Amino acid sequence: MPAINLSDTDLIAIVAFIHAQKTKFDTLGGERRTVDPQDLATGNAEAGKRYFDGAGGCVRCHSPAGDLSGVATRYRGLALLQRMLYPNGRPEAVSPKGTASPQVTVTLASGETLVASLAAQDEFTMTILDPTGARQTYDKTAVKFTVEDPLSVHFSQLGKYTDTDMHNVFAYLDTLK
Amino acid sequence: MKYARLLWAMLWAMPALLPAQTWLTYHGDYSGRRHTTLSAITPENVSRLQQVWQFQTAQNQQIKSSPIVVNGIMFVTTPDNIWALDAHSGKELWHYQYPPNDAFHIGHRGAAVYKDTVFLTTPNCHLIALGAKDGSIQWDVTIADSARGYWSTNAPLVIRNHVLVGVSGDFDNLPGQLRSVDADTGQTQWTFYSTPPPGGTEPKSGGATGGQMWTTGTYDPDLNLVYVGTGNPTPVLNGDARPGDNPWTCSILAINPDTGKLAWGFQVSPHDTHDWDAAEVPVLVDAEFNGQPRKLLMQASRNGYLFVLDRTNGKNLLTKPFATVNWAKGIDELGRPIPDPAKYPSRDGVLVAPNESGATNFRPPSFDPKTGLFIVSAQDGYGIYFFKSDHGSYGWAGADYGVAGRAFLRAIDYRTGKIVWDHPIGDGSGSAGVLTTETGLTFSGDVPGNVLALRTEDGATLWHATIGRTGNAPVMYELDGRQYLVMGGGASLYAFALPGDD
Repeated sequence: MPAINLSDTDLIAIVAFIHAQKTKFDTLGGERRTVDPQDLATGNAEAGKRYFDGAGGCVRCHSPAGDLSGVATRYRGLALLQRMLYPNGRPEAVSPKGTASPQVTVTLASGETLVASLAAQDEFTMTILDPTGARQTYDKTAVKFTVEDPLSVHFSQLGKYTDTDMHNVFAYLDTLK
Repeated sequence: MKYARLLWAMLWAMPALLPAQTWLTYHGDYSGRRHTTLSAITPENVSRLQQVWQFQTAQNQQIKSSPIVVNGIMFVTTPDNIWALDAHSGKELWHYQYPPNDAFHIGHRGAAVYKDTVFLTTPNCHLIALGAKDGSIQWDVTIADSARGYWSTNAPLVIRNHVLVGVSGDFDNLPGQLRSVDADTGQTQWTFYSTPPPGGTEPKSGGATGGQMWTTGTYDPDLNLVYVGTGNPTPVLNGDARPGDNPWTCSILAINPDTGKLAWGFQVSPHDTHDWDAAEVPVLVDAEFNGQPRKLLMQASRNGYLFVLDRTNGKNLLTKPFATVNWAKGIDELGRPIPDPAKYPSRDGVLVAPNESGATNFRPPSFDPKTGLFIVSAQDGYGIYFFKSDHGSYGWAGADYGVAGRAFLRAIDYRTGKIVWDHPIGDGSGSAGVLTTETGLTFSGDVPGNVLALRTEDGATLWHATIGRTGNAPVMYELDGRQYLVMGGGASLYAFALPGDD
């Protein structure tokens, strides 16, 4: 190792720095880290608006003056990004603003037709929330039904975004305070 | 003594193919195919399956283990716990509970047997030998230092008198280690390190630690090689701190069980920055590939690619995505996906497929020889990955979040990688492994909590039962002429059989 020509002051400063770094990372531990809102602020809001209105097709279901009004006040930083990518939530009879509950149209054996929120389903049964919020479960072989799931559009969109698109749309939504 | 002699004989000459009546290892046999030759349950009568017993652990932890069945006794585990049950009735014979400890209790994969001993790993990295008849402690050894951040969920693999035990540890920069312990005495025979051992350096690793071997390997007795998948590198999301490919993390390794020496390695995710362990089961199949009879190894890996290798030498024969992937620029000349630096975790986040839970995970797949289908519980999913220098270079060293996923049971033609059928099983990710039968059935579980029987040929549903969140893979065995299907649902085991005389 070559001789290192450092003054005592510099050596002490370097040692102090190494100790400080060690203390910092010891405190940090090895757990999962977090994301700060300012980390996400790299997009271009204007380009995001163009994508929202154009290529992204977001405008087909959403509007900045309607369901997305104030969305950046309700959700901040990472939470806003997560809601933007996939706004799932607990199914309710009437979906709160900014959430997307699948809707199902059921034709019962009696011929009666219901339109309701889909609370749960598997391959064999489905459970809807009727307008009073009560749960009704049907055997899928006993009724005719169609499901309209806005989340499926969001899921398809995940395969279409470039990272730049994602950051731009986020920057645009972040202006909707 | 009859018990001990019989078990000894079975283990000494353990066949590569599954002995029909028992479920001797985590995988049932050494091959990892999870394919049974039992023939009583068929596509024609499977709809008549009915529950014959249920065993409740009466604890909070989900069963994520494969039970093993030997001489009419079933052993099932959760972290810190093992139960011996009468495999006819599900009645408890004994229960051993390890003292409370602070290590990570994320799950447990199962036990292993040898002579009249059953082996249990504990979250704090002890390996305990218990008497199979009564759960009495024969010996207890430490396999890794849990105070440094190791934990164990491992179902050991017994080969002759070697008990191979792996550990986990993602939140600390720890070398990946697999230990072989003498089955009679508990003495360490060898320790294999997938990344440089403590105090050691290995320029090839690029400074990476990790590569833990936390799942149960497979074994080819003719080649005398154990195949084991290694986990992700640490630091996990900070790739800058560990330049290069970081061997042998995210790799499939062939190791001599007598010496602990590496025969060959194949890295499925060079320079991983997404926590995609290659710990999924390396399934061993003797079959034709491109017109030649081959000794094959197949892995559907967490990174979304199916790999088919020649298991005599580790040479790649096929690399094909089996789920949505967007992180690779192509496949290199060795058959390895080439990571796209644009999809490395970043300060403002990148959208990556698969997500952290992966295109599949430890839940085991199955191979059906008749159709040549490799059937896996797969996920098409997306996650967002973050890293900035403030996240440091220790442990996770980054942040990531699953965005959404769609789960499928997916049947892949091993010769081409082509998906032959896809059976949706819900949103998010499945948690159940797969079992196939010689009669043409595929058993697994869905996300909402049903155990399913599908027709292997086309994936059509033939039977189901709701048992709650399904954990790990179903097992099958025969006792006194009756064929049983057993699967974990929540914190209980459920046994199904065709209607009998009882």
